[in-house]
Amino acid sequence: MLTISLTHYVVLSALLFSIGLFGVLTKRNAVAVLICIELMLNAVNINLVAFSKYITPLDFTGQIFSIFVITVAAAEVGVGLAIIIAIYRNRLTVDLDNFDWLKW
Amino acid sequence: MTPFDFSIPINPSALTLEMLVAALGLGILILGIISPKGARSGLGWVSFLGLMGIIGVAITMWGQSGELLAGMYLLDNYALFWKITFMVAAALVILGNMRYVDKVGNQAEYYSLTIFATLGMMVMASAGDLMTLYLGLELMTIAFVILVCLRKTDNKSVEAGMKYILLAGMSSAVLLYGLSLLYGLTGSVIMLDISRIIAMQPVSPALVLALVMIIAGLGFKISAVPFHMWSPDVYEGAPTPVTSFLSMGSKAASFAIILRLFITALPGVWENWAMVIAILAGITIIIGNLVAMPQTNIKRLLAYSSIAQAGYIMVGMVTASEAGIKGVMFYAFLYVFATAGAFTVAAYFYNVTGSDELKDYAGLSQRSPLMAAVMLVALLSMAGIPPLAGFVGKFYLFKTIVDGYLWLVFIGLIMSMVSVYYYLRVALVMYRDEPKDPSPINVSGPVTVTLILTMLVTLIIGIYPGPLSEVVNSAAHSFFLH
Amino acid sequence: MLVEFAMMHAWLVPLLPALAFLVIVFLTRPFEKLSAIIAVGSMAIACVIASFAAYGIFTNHEYTKTPLVYAAKWLSLGMPGVTDSLMVHVGVQLDPVSAMMMFMVSFISTFIFLYSVGYMKGDPGYSVFFAYLSLFGASMLLLVISSNLLQMFVAWELVGLCSYLLIGFYTHKISAREAAKKAFVTCRVADFGLLLGLLALQITFGTLNLVELGEKIHNFQEYTSIGMLTLIAVLVFIGPIGKSGQFPLHVWLPDAMEGPTPVSALIHAATMVVAGVYLVGRTMFLFHEVESAMQLVAVTGAFTALFAATIALTQREIKRILAYSTVSQLGYMMLALGVGSLTAGMFHMWTHAFFKALMFLAAGSVLTALHHKADVWEMGGLIKKMPITGWTFVIGGLAIAGIPPFAGFWSKDEILVATLAEGHYVLFAMAAFTAFLTAFYMWRMIFLVFFGDEKPENHPQESPWTMTVPLIVLAVGAIGAGWFGTPWYNVWAEWIYFGEPHHGPINYGAMLLSIVLAGSGIYLAYTMYLKDAQKKRARKLAEWFGPVYRMLYNKYYIDELYLWFNHALVDGTARLFYLFDLYVVDGLVNGIGTFTKSSGDGLRVFQTGRLQNYALIFFLGVLAVAVLVTFTGPSAASLVLGGVK
Repeated sequence: MLTISLTHYVVLSALLFSIGLFGVLTKRNAVAVLICIELMLNAVNINLVAFSKYITPLDFTGQIFSIFVITVAAAEVGVGLAIIIAIYRNRLTVDLDNFDWLKW
Repeated sequence: MTPFDFSIPINPSALTLEMLVAALGLGILILGIISPKGARSGLGWVSFLGLMGIIGVAITMWGQSGELLAGMYLLDNYALFWKITFMVAAALVILGNMRYVDKVGNQAEYYSLTIFATLGMMVMASAGDLMTLYLGLELMTIAFVILVCLRKTDNKSVEAGMKYILLAGMSSAVLLYGLSLLYGLTGSVIMLDISRIIAMQPVSPALVLALVMIIAGLGFKISAVPFHMWSPDVYEGAPTPVTSFLSMGSKAASFAIILRLFITALPGVWENWAMVIAILAGITIIIGNLVAMPQTNIKRLLAYSSIAQAGYIMVGMVTASEAGIKGVMFYAFLYVFATAGAFTVAAYFYNVTGSDELKDYAGLSQRSPLMAAVMLVALLSMAGIPPLAGFVGKFYLFKTIVDGYLWLVFIGLIMSMVSVYYYLRVALVMYRDEPKDPSPINVSGPVTVTLILTMLVTLIIGIYPGPLSEVVNSAAHSFFLH
Repeated sequence: MLVEFAMMHAWLVPLLPALAFLVIVFLTRPFEKLSAIIAVGSMAIACVIASFAAYGIFTNHEYTKTPLVYAAKWLSLGMPGVTDSLMVHVGVQLDPVSAMMMFMVSFISTFIFLYSVGYMKGDPGYSVFFAYLSLFGASMLLLVISSNLLQMFVAWELVGLCSYLLIGFYTHKISAREAAKKAFVTCRVADFGLLLGLLALQITFGTLNLVELGEKIHNFQEYTSIGMLTLIAVLVFIGPIGKSGQFPLHVWLPDAMEGPTPVSALIHAATMVVAGVYLVGRTMFLFHEVESAMQLVAVTGAFTALFAATIALTQREIKRILAYSTVSQLGYMMLALGVGSLTAGMFHMWTHAFFKALMFLAAGSVLTALHHKADVWEMGGLIKKMPITGWTFVIGGLAIAGIPPFAGFWSKDEILVATLAEGHYVLFAMAAFTAFLTAFYMWRMIFLVFFGDEKPENHPQESPWTMTVPLIVLAVGAIGAGWFGTPWYNVWAEWIYFGEPHHGPINYGAMLLSIVLAGSGIYLAYTMYLKDAQKKRARKLAEWFGPVYRMLYNKYYIDELYLWFNHALVDGTARLFYLFDLYVVDGLVNGIGTFTKSSGDGLRVFQTGRLQNYALIFFLGVLAVAVLVTFTGPSAASLVLGGVK
């Protein structure tokens, strides 16, 4: 019988983080990149909750931390989407490859 | 005792400053809604005077020390000094750029977000646990993101905001991953507990990974090479007052939290991070100065120069000693004034001429002697020319690493010489070249005050560093008392 | 109450003129009258404060033993509690010597400032002149009250700077510019020695505080050897050689007369040039321990005195004669210090300040009246048209020649007695002969300028009151300033001394000798230049001693020697280095510069503007840091590479 241990959570989290990272580096659509960043943050949340459960089962430090992370991430996404909309109005595109006015 | 035992009585007076700043920010927001459009330019004065009042309150709190919620929130002279520094930076930015903001519009948002960013920084300065650290950091960052794209119809401004939020989000994910590992390894988020537990454990690969990710995540905020790529673009695209605040406030706050995290929570693995920080500092100094040389846009030039400055400040972290902390604080304080001077000139110049290009600064000494003089003093101070403040600051920083890191001192010296090249290029353009449009620039009252103030402070600290050095000594001393 | 305040706030004395400088430069430069009032007023107030402070010092004998010192921390390097941290203070040290000097400088400055109001009238740089004068006053007073040698050195350099600015004040005159440069460079050469000396003191004794140094040097064996101390003393003495115009660095002082006359009076006669003497007096504790250094001071002083006096015999320009007499008198002061008599040295400095400032100002008055015709042979009989100038000048002449009861007599007598008492017979003979020469050349000038036949082409007129009042006040000083230190009732020696005050027996012999020497000098001048209206004898004498005369007139060709040295040696070497610099160093530097610049350009390419490239670099950075942490951290490296411990 397979018991789910801390290691499984940590590996899952690492995988999720890597997937998110891959997305950030390869996706051309700004919204997709934003979503990939969310994936990375959720990897962190899995970590936090797992550690909370296995390492400090008596107090909920990790859970509370992850709630903070979720809240802040929501705010970040809100601002991020607003900016993407603003840039779409100006440039009629959300393809990141087009945004290189600022360089050198 | 767990940190979430809410039966611990909290002394609300300990949070006076943070509450006042929050109230000021909310007040400005409300005033912006209820006041008529024409009266909104007065909001700048309200914010400025409010901040000055809070600075006054902060000074009376000097010497206060303690912890809230079992070490989640630390109160000491160290935190207080940083808080005063942030508020001074915010006040200077507000005072020097009212005209610019009036031109952009959205005064209420601008001023309240500036103040909320300051609040975030203040939380960072006092943070005693990883959660508070993260919250302060994100409060500051999100406020800054909005400020960066304040000119929302300007392509450059929005592009800068986009780059900033995506890269900052990514870097906070990395930072958070590191923090979560740290929590997993020690079972605590409180820095003082972490340091105790780490000292008892051998160094594990997971801890090394956590360390790397934390260095990367926070290195992003101070724009240490190679995590600096965002900053030139964002600095150039953002409205100049925001750039100014970003380069002094955000950077200073990040240094405040880095010192706290590395020296309070991670002194046990000092051997593992000291050399990395030293090497990063060296690379940052080199790259920042080298790439600054070919720049033709004044804001971009200042951006690279501020990368190099961050490298100098990192030098103070290497020894994790009281002297190093003192050096960092001293330099950060004077850096605020030098940066405020330079960017206020840039912002005002943009206001009048609509240009940030270096070639348009030709003959500025004839058009406005004050602006040219302030720019010169600020740049020379950053270059570390005596008797200006920057010299004393660099002296304090590099003095801490003379034993053992001589190569870094050497890099610092050589690159200071290189930096003189591009700083003096600006001076040359301002003083030697003939202006295309010789009409004099009238500098308005508040701007004049800001400029003269920054110049005077830069000069006085350079000539008579004694008092500031005393204050910083006491602040650095309080750091180790917890 | 007032006295108390003045003593505890003596820092106001230099601060007021410094503020005047700032105010004039930044605010009142367009308003000439106001600038002058601010300069004179601030110096007058400073003088009042200085007088009260001096009164406080000179009514309490405590201060001769323990000076009144208060200081503020200027900067500290190192952390609190660390023993080897360097602390630098700015402070005030008041004792009889500095109180006397502070009073003297501020008093004389006040009158010279007042004199300048009239003298500089109509000059395009009127306000700037007063700004410079104020800055000079501030720096000099700062030097005087300094409680440590570093602060003194800062002030020392500041007065040097002011001297440079003021000598070259007439920027349109090439000679003035050259003289300013010469003064600055010569003094800088000397200051380098002083700086080395101060560094050595700091390294050896760990402080530059006068009081602490005094105590530590008293027991110098605990810190260093006598050889090292001698070296330090000699290095320190090089500074005064330059600033106080001692041989062989005296060359700048006569040329410095290119500046406006008040400047000559204030800086190059009464105050700045005695800074060197003052410094030696201040560091007497150092020289006192080193016998050979004392001898060096004494011999340099005596030689300079005689040497400059012989040059003065033949000079023709009124201010140059005065300049060489200044050099000569400074030699006297050094001699006094060298034979260990702080009392006599400071006393002569005090009296000299009065009569020399007086004579310079009177000379300035003459020059104004004659439209800057400077040759004494072209003057004559001026006393009839300019009685105040003339008679005050005569008083100055009597004082410097050493005729009782005028001021110079008492101080010069004191020096002679002190030299004799120490058994330096050769130096005594040199000093005595110098006294004779001094009387002779001074009165040669007086007879030529003020007496004899009037020259028809001159139309002299007495100067305005702003110029004559200072003359009269200083003349009173030139008469009475010496009465503090008569051998019968020597108040001076009770207050200003080094070690223990000593009262030798009254030496009537030496007194008589100096009167006879002075009298015969004046008489000789009288017979040669006044009685003999055609000056036949003088001319014949010059012909007889043709080569000697020419040598003296050309100041022993020392300037030429230096010039030759400069051309042949310095310029020659410089040319060689120039070529080296041009081809080797420049090539290297340019190469490095080009390399740096192009590397900047190269690195810029990474900044593509693409967000995802930035993200990629960020993660490559994370990877790099991970590698770094692994390989630089000792335990981590072994952990990852060598398995779990």
